[in-house]
Amino acid sequence: MAISPRVPRDLDRERGRPLRTDGGDSAVSEEPETDAPDGRETTTERAGDATSSSADGDHWLRQYARDHVAHGLVVAVFALYPFIYSSMAGLPRVDLMVATVDFGAFFDAFMPAMTFVIAMLFLGLFAMSFDFISGYTGYLSFGHAAFYGVGAYTIILIANGDVPVLPAETPFVVTMVLGGLLAFALALAIGLVSFRLTGVYFAMITLGVAQVIYELVRNWDYVAANPQEGPTHQGSTPEIGIPFVDSLSVSIGRLAGTEFENVLGLGIDLSATEVSYWAIGLIVLLCYFAMQRIIHSPFGRVMIAIRENEERARAIGYNVFWYKMVAFGFSGFFAGIAGALFAGFRGNASPDETFYFLHTADALIVTIVGGIGTLAGPLFGSVFFEWLEDILSSEQGGLAPFLRDLVGESIVINSVIDGRAPLYLGIVFVLFVLFVPNGLLGSVRDRIGGTVSKQLPSVLDRYRR
Amino acid sequence: MAVVPGFVELPLFYEGFLNFLDRLLQPSTLVRIVVEGLGKAAIYFIIAVGLTLVFGLMGVLNFAHGAFAMIGAYLGGILMVVAISAGSGPIARIALFVAVAAVVMAAMTAFGALVETKLVRPIYDRTPMYQILLTFGIGLILEELARIVATFQGIQPEPTWSAAAGTIPGAFQNPIGIIQETLGVNVRAFYLFAAAGGVLVATAVWLFLTRTLYGLYIRAGSEDPEMVEALGVDVRRAFTVVFGLGTGLAALGGVFLMWDPTWGPSVLLNIDVLLYAFVVVVIGGLGSFKGTIVAALVVGLADSFTTWLFHTGIVTFPGLPEVTVFLLLVITLVVKPQGLYGVEEVGGH
Repeated sequence: MAISPRVPRDLDRERGRPLRTDGGDSAVSEEPETDAPDGRETTTERAGDATSSSADGDHWLRQYARDHVAHGLVVAVFALYPFIYSSMAGLPRVDLMVATVDFGAFFDAFMPAMTFVIAMLFLGLFAMSFDFISGYTGYLSFGHAAFYGVGAYTIILIANGDVPVLPAETPFVVTMVLGGLLAFALALAIGLVSFRLTGVYFAMITLGVAQVIYELVRNWDYVAANPQEGPTHQGSTPEIGIPFVDSLSVSIGRLAGTEFENVLGLGIDLSATEVSYWAIGLIVLLCYFAMQRIIHSPFGRVMIAIRENEERARAIGYNVFWYKMVAFGFSGFFAGIAGALFAGFRGNASPDETFYFLHTADALIVTIVGGIGTLAGPLFGSVFFEWLEDILSSEQGGLAPFLRDLVGESIVINSVIDGRAPLYLGIVFVLFVLFVPNGLLGSVRDRIGGTVSKQLPSVLDRYRR
Repeated sequence: MAVVPGFVELPLFYEGFLNFLDRLLQPSTLVRIVVEGLGKAAIYFIIAVGLTLVFGLMGVLNFAHGAFAMIGAYLGGILMVVAISAGSGPIARIALFVAVAAVVMAAMTAFGALVETKLVRPIYDRTPMYQILLTFGIGLILEELARIVATFQGIQPEPTWSAAAGTIPGAFQNPIGIIQETLGVNVRAFYLFAAAGGVLVATAVWLFLTRTLYGLYIRAGSEDPEMVEALGVDVRRAFTVVFGLGTGLAALGGVFLMWDPTWGPSVLLNIDVLLYAFVVVVIGGLGSFKGTIVAALVVGLADSFTTWLFHTGIVTFPGLPEVTVFLLLVITLVVKPQGLYGVEEVGGH
């Protein structure tokens, strides 16, 4: 079951070989998210780029900045979102001769609220780690939720003082990395028995191991008084930042997080949720760049070689077993980090939200919607996923309360809209599988003929003149 | 002999083990484990056999299988609840059950054929992963639709719909009289009924595979689809028939689950049944009919044995049956990567 994330493309045919064979020399230059296995050098004219021919000192830096325009834009949108949301949702009712339109309520109904945006971050990181192994080596990891669960349970158990040797006051950042390392070790252990298999059998054995762990955790009274509900974080509030330096750390959590009032005298108040959002976002960003770095290293090129043609990679002389093992370990590590962030922010972790098969399925869905084998795609997929969740639930200003205000109570709203996100998500997912197999980001890349960050500068240049 | 602190002394452990063996080898215990195991195995087989047929012929790992079983359980429940007035005797109930099972199976077979032609057919030329994704999406949609309909009708989607489970004849919930009098064990008569059903279904499927033209196509198609097509067989139609049949069998399994004391109709069946069906199919070897029978027996007996262990308090871990079932899957794959009767290189890269 060789999984190629994209339907065969004309690019490959035109090159005549699906693989770049320069052993990843180009990884020396900082090149943002290109995953195209053909690694085609872009041939776009760089008109208006005076520095490309001159060799002055800031040449590579400017090049670097140009290459990261797309990243910068995405990060900026994410960073500014809280302000956009609070200003849009705070708009007043407007009296338009004909009728009053309540813009604030409208935006509140249709824009994802902060808790959902934070959920985008951990789900996005989890899905990226899933894509890291499944999209780049072609091995479907159906037990990925186990790593997420290990990360989540590790930080809670340490914070509750249930782990010998480690004091309950261990900083969150340290326990988070520990959880990641435990997940790394678990991935190696699972990989040891699983990587003898391929295709469906690999998917099934990882699923089996994850379900065994799930059933054990769910019934083991060591982890919590009520293991079916999962443990609750009873220690001090988790802090993200430099350990032991209070001025460089912020607490995360909806209720107990750090709040800043009147920042820099600008009259802006930052709520605990918003501070947590930036802190978690920073970790997710670091993890994304780490994963991207691995993908673009020679190591990552070998992962792609395994996906495209494992026999050939072996014949060239790579020890594919160890490459797969280490890739699986990294993937587990980042999934563990995602789980730790989730548990740190939520303050509890139920086995059904961490270790269960359906949690892996969520990652799978957002990976497909975002584009498998694109690394950044799953993040956009999870934005879509959580957005839909937010609109269709009445937890924080969704569609249902909005419509109730508009047309009054009705059985249709209660049964077809309120809390029905999984139904529409399933429909969208099936449509994506049938008609957009490369996902959102994959389709965009196919359309513009390369990765977004490679193509964006020249597009921008065109508009600058 | 030095005693290691924290460990049971060897003689003590030995005595405990003998005691345990003594309890296990009582005829009453053995009868209970075997009858219950056979009943469970029969239901697992009915559910899993459709999955293995579909995979064997088409190479599609159908992730909507659990959802089809769940819909079967609900449909069966609705028909039973509507058809039964409270006063029906056990014979009438069993007759009705058979009729309902036939109706549900027929309806779901048609539904499965429809799903295959409209949704699955366009993506046969893609990698198997896309078929997994598509069927999984279909399963999610069906689960949510069932949830909406159940909520709309005022039925709790979770845990189980007790009205449907309550249509079981009283005699089935009671222990089997003869066994209870002679051995003093309580085994629900339902398990014997389920075992009989399983034998019937297995026989019917086997006859279908070996004595009918379509069975021939399926067996040949599992070996070499291109050759079958070259010989002029309309493989696409065979795919539709097999997918429909697999769906119908899943729904039939769901109808049996409706009366099962540990399952019962609920939307949670989607994932739970799917996972169990996968365990059975993968242990037996993907695409192998014989393997599915053997694996269902192994899983069913392991399930009833661990349930007995938990009930008698020998093991105090409540999740033991589930852990054992999934461990069986892992161990099988480690020892025999293709399953017990699996064909080399089926379902691999």
